[in-house]
Amino acid sequence: MTSSIDPITLEIVWNGLLSVTDECFITLMRSAYSTNIKERHDHSIAIADAKGRLIAQSQGSLPIHISSMTGLIAALLAKYGDSIEEGDLFLANDPHVAGGTHLPDLNFAMPVFEDGRLIGLVANIAHHADVGGAAAGSMSGGLNEIWKEGLRIPVVRLMRRGQLAQELMDIILLNMRLPEERKGDINAQIAACRLGVERLKALSHRYGLGTLETAFDEIVSRSTARMRAEIAKIPDGRYAFEDVLDDDGLEAKDVRFKLVIDKSGDRIVFDWTGSDPQVPGNVNLTFNATQSCVFFGLKAVLDPDLPNNQGVLDAVEIIAPLGTVVNCVAPAAVALRANTCQRGIDVVLGALAQALPDKVIAAANGANTSAVFAGNDPETGRPYVYLETLGGGMGARATKDGKDGVQAGITNTSNLPVEAIEMEYPLRVLAYGFVEDSGGAGRTRGGLGIRRIVTPVGHRCEFSGVGERFTHRPWGLFGGEPGGTGRFVLVEPSGARRQLANKVRMPLNAGESVVVETPGAGGYGPPDERTADAVAEDLGSGKFTPEFMARHYRR
Amino acid sequence: MGWLIGVDVGGTFTDLFAFEPPTGRIAVHKVPSTPADPSIAIVEGLQGLKDRHGVDLGAMERFAHGTTVATNALIQRKGGKLALVTTAGFRDLLEIGRQIRPRVYDIQTDYPPPLIPRERRFEAVERIGSRGEVIVGLEEAEVRQVAAAIAGAGVDGVAICLLFSFLNPDHERRLAAAIREAAPGLHLSVSSEVQPEFREYERMSTTVLNAYLQPQVTLYMERLGQAIREIAPAAAIGINQSSGGLMSIERASQFPVRTALSGPAAGVVGACHVAALSGHPDVITFDMGGTSTDVCLVRGGKAEMAFGRDVAGFPVRMPAIDIHTIGAGGGSIAHFGADGLMKVGPESAGAVPGPACYGRGGTLPTVSDANVVLGRLPVELLGGDMRLDKAAAENAVRPVADRLGLSIEAAALGIVRIVNANMMRAIRAVSIERGHDPRPFVLMPFGGAGALHAIELAEEIGMRAVLVPPSPGILCAQGLVVADLKESFVATCRTPLAGDLGIVKRELARLSAALEQWWARERIAKSDARAELVADMRYIGQNYELSVPIPDDRGLDLPPAAELAALFHAAHARSYGHCDPAAPVEIVNLRLTGIGRLPDIGPPRVPPKRSGRDARTRPVWFAGDAAVDARIVWRDDLAPGDSVAGPAVIEQLDATTPVPPGYSAVVDASLNLVIGVRA
Repeated sequence: MTSSIDPITLEIVWNGLLSVTDECFITLMRSAYSTNIKERHDHSIAIADAKGRLIAQSQGSLPIHISSMTGLIAALLAKYGDSIEEGDLFLANDPHVAGGTHLPDLNFAMPVFEDGRLIGLVANIAHHADVGGAAAGSMSGGLNEIWKEGLRIPVVRLMRRGQLAQELMDIILLNMRLPEERKGDINAQIAACRLGVERLKALSHRYGLGTLETAFDEIVSRSTARMRAEIAKIPDGRYAFEDVLDDDGLEAKDVRFKLVIDKSGDRIVFDWTGSDPQVPGNVNLTFNATQSCVFFGLKAVLDPDLPNNQGVLDAVEIIAPLGTVVNCVAPAAVALRANTCQRGIDVVLGALAQALPDKVIAAANGANTSAVFAGNDPETGRPYVYLETLGGGMGARATKDGKDGVQAGITNTSNLPVEAIEMEYPLRVLAYGFVEDSGGAGRTRGGLGIRRIVTPVGHRCEFSGVGERFTHRPWGLFGGEPGGTGRFVLVEPSGARRQLANKVRMPLNAGESVVVETPGAGGYGPPDERTADAVAEDLGSGKFTPEFMARHYRR
Repeated sequence: MGWLIGVDVGGTFTDLFAFEPPTGRIAVHKVPSTPADPSIAIVEGLQGLKDRHGVDLGAMERFAHGTTVATNALIQRKGGKLALVTTAGFRDLLEIGRQIRPRVYDIQTDYPPPLIPRERRFEAVERIGSRGEVIVGLEEAEVRQVAAAIAGAGVDGVAICLLFSFLNPDHERRLAAAIREAAPGLHLSVSSEVQPEFREYERMSTTVLNAYLQPQVTLYMERLGQAIREIAPAAAIGINQSSGGLMSIERASQFPVRTALSGPAAGVVGACHVAALSGHPDVITFDMGGTSTDVCLVRGGKAEMAFGRDVAGFPVRMPAIDIHTIGAGGGSIAHFGADGLMKVGPESAGAVPGPACYGRGGTLPTVSDANVVLGRLPVELLGGDMRLDKAAAENAVRPVADRLGLSIEAAALGIVRIVNANMMRAIRAVSIERGHDPRPFVLMPFGGAGALHAIELAEEIGMRAVLVPPSPGILCAQGLVVADLKESFVATCRTPLAGDLGIVKRELARLSAALEQWWARERIAKSDARAELVADMRYIGQNYELSVPIPDDRGLDLPPAAELAALFHAAHARSYGHCDPAAPVEIVNLRLTGIGRLPDIGPPRVPPKRSGRDARTRPVWFAGDAAVDARIVWRDDLAPGDSVAGPAVIEQLDATTPVPPGYSAVVDASLNLVIGVRA
């Protein structure tokens, strides 16, 4: 059935679809059990049509989730096709066989039927605090195969015609460390799916099924057209860039990411050929994660308001050879893919810098620096785990400095207040501020990294940290200088300091403290073009030392 | 008793609403605002009340005022030059904030830079721990050194925010005292006084904002106080807060941040009053102005409250009426997006040049122009004081119509449909997304444009009725007259319900004592004194709290732990759809609100004017393919019990209510228009 749709109704229906995803997003956030979903909002909602095309994604969704959604739907339709029935519910998480990007992201999808016909699917992703595997949290560094990272779930039918497959659920929960919390979060995801199905049906009743399906086609084709029009504005040419990841936490060092962008008219190809083979450590990207990096970079330089849907994805071609770090195959380990995505975005922006110098930024802190303190509270005896990911410098921009101390790229999670940390855990935060001199010099300078110093109070705990850009500095652009690297430093009671490994796990005694310093970011343009006012401010604010200023700004 | 007068200062107009309780007399007046010194327009407006309406200003009992001085100072960045004092090691906290960027995919946009640059953020060597214990003492030499540095910094004011000062304010107080001595005359804002609750960044941001606003607001309050005392020596002066309650002029100078979101709050207070008088305790307010629309959910006659808000991009912790604002209003401009589809707003034609139909040089099509094209808005506004230019409206909408291949009227209907879809999202946000089914609620439009859109919205959402108050354009000023005095007290006292609640009880006793003092200071009679207790609670291990009202059936006593837990579980189930009665719960904050109830004012007693205007009709497009002849009714002519059947348009000075075919508006005893909506 085809029908036409007037442009005003199309605008209203499109808004209505976004409204459905936003309402499901909030419902999932509110009814979930774990902090990761409730506070950090590590979840996303999407609507796909019966052909598996992504039609709408909730506005609060994380960039990494967009391709996981399309991956899940594609795997689901390929496996179940015509056997999908009303009241079914599908679940998957596996990066290698079910379109995921790492195991803690549990993807759910529920089909929507009208007049006995499949008209679309409502899907959601949430990052679960634990999905089993070798280490609590399923996100530990240093693991070398996917099985160690948690329970692998291919696309499975968790419900058939509204009936829960309890035995399947039992296997899943038995393999996870906090089954009660998992059950709560899974129920919240199911509730969000059900709500989405109900709301999509209501839209279909309100505007007519034919109108809705025509709207799906229009949304995809208009988005492709809009994306192509944006792509056409990029000057034609070949733009190459490469960069490395410090290490994989095991034996691989300087893991190479190579990209050539070929742009002609409204066609753009991202060719990652030449990137290193996949590595033993768990920093590999699946194709979908690589696609998320490309999509983030393009959207950031072309138009942040571009919609997140199939039409936009369709306008871009990606070549990523199988078995490499940008398109790994089983049994590659992938849990730390967020750090790797940051490097992927650096490479995309680095290549685009030659084409769109005014739109890109110099390398940002390029990491998802994480610090975990775990132990037993000496007063209550209860175990605790405090995990935090810290921001760093934002890359310098054509017209303004990079922001100091902020999340960049693929992630945007907030910090935990110092007062909350100390009330919650037997830990004390001794300082929280900027790392002086860590912003690369330039006409506009890179942002500063963050320094946080933490000590266990009255007990011994375990510290584990994952750092990136601890070896290779975030690069500058067009004569701008690179920013500072990050590092983990142990301070002993005597005051003696010792630098730790980039990816580290070690005991920490009372009286000792760990200094976490995140990377700064690169500068933009030659430093001697920096205005006198800006130089004076760098000095006056104390963000840069007189020595640094004398060394980098000749005046 | 004498006159009660509410004065709401807006960007364009200063509205005055006067009420005389014994007689029930009401007088309403409007004068152009004087942004440079808003008190000039206020005095002028009061004079107008006297000259044109015979209000005896000498007998003014209360002067209640909503001011935007703080809001404007913030928007224009015209606050004080400040210094900050914080715990050693933490001066960058003000700049790092929550380390997030405002829009995920936008690498060019940042949150606004902090109001205090790094070189004026001073650190004091000291440290309080998470139980309020002193870990590093604050040495006298350190106090003197910081005070001296501040005295030499050339600033107008100082914000002081130390870690854990909400548990132990001693270090903050000593620093404040020393600074007061070393640099007399500086404005001081101390976090343990401004908002003593945990989460250091939000507390610091609130304290800094408060300090920033102190110089301007204090100056304004002095001028205003003097002007009012000259006119009405006996009048009590109340300044509206974001919580919808009034405070004294001294409190307003001390805590100006509390006025930052007070503008729309007064309208909601007015709406609550109107709703209560009309017997509709559950309403959703819909205040549609020129550039934005404020929506708020009122349940059981009380507005929902929020404790954390954003003001001009900075987080602020303070009790505030939970108002959801969207950037769409009568002045919103219709345009085409990059996807080729028509959008409406958030760009607005503002007051200048305004919509094309205003004839002040605007040429872009706005929502108001669409309403003129459709005949829903009359060409004469404000009782003839303002004429709308229909031809200009049509010219503005024509390019949209041409691009869409539609008639001008169909394009105008499209503009209205799209802006209504935006409004619907706002109404859903305050209701469905917060766990309330909107269908049993009544939609109450006010502001200049609300009534134009309300019926279509209510119908689309399935709400049961629309209630248009008698004077939708001055509901804010009316709200000021009916607002109570309010003061909020907060204490953070994190304690598991299973543990010893002694500390919570001690904190409650401390808050109660502070409340008693406030009642005494404000000379509030026992019979008018009320208190509301709210406990912020959460499941242990979670990072967010739910604010749970504690029933006052036992006075200001803390209920037993089991009862507190039951209240929390019920609130959790209502908000999130589930609860876990087996999980341990903790108390995080206690919030005590003191209320000084001001005398109730009843319904207005205004006899209908029966203007005797001729019955007329005009063609109006409600929907579909053709205009229908709608009866034009003057609102002043309507008396309780009257009913107006659609198609009709009910016009009045400050609002227009189209009644579509098939609907009818009934005038209730309080002169509200009530329009039932078909299910």
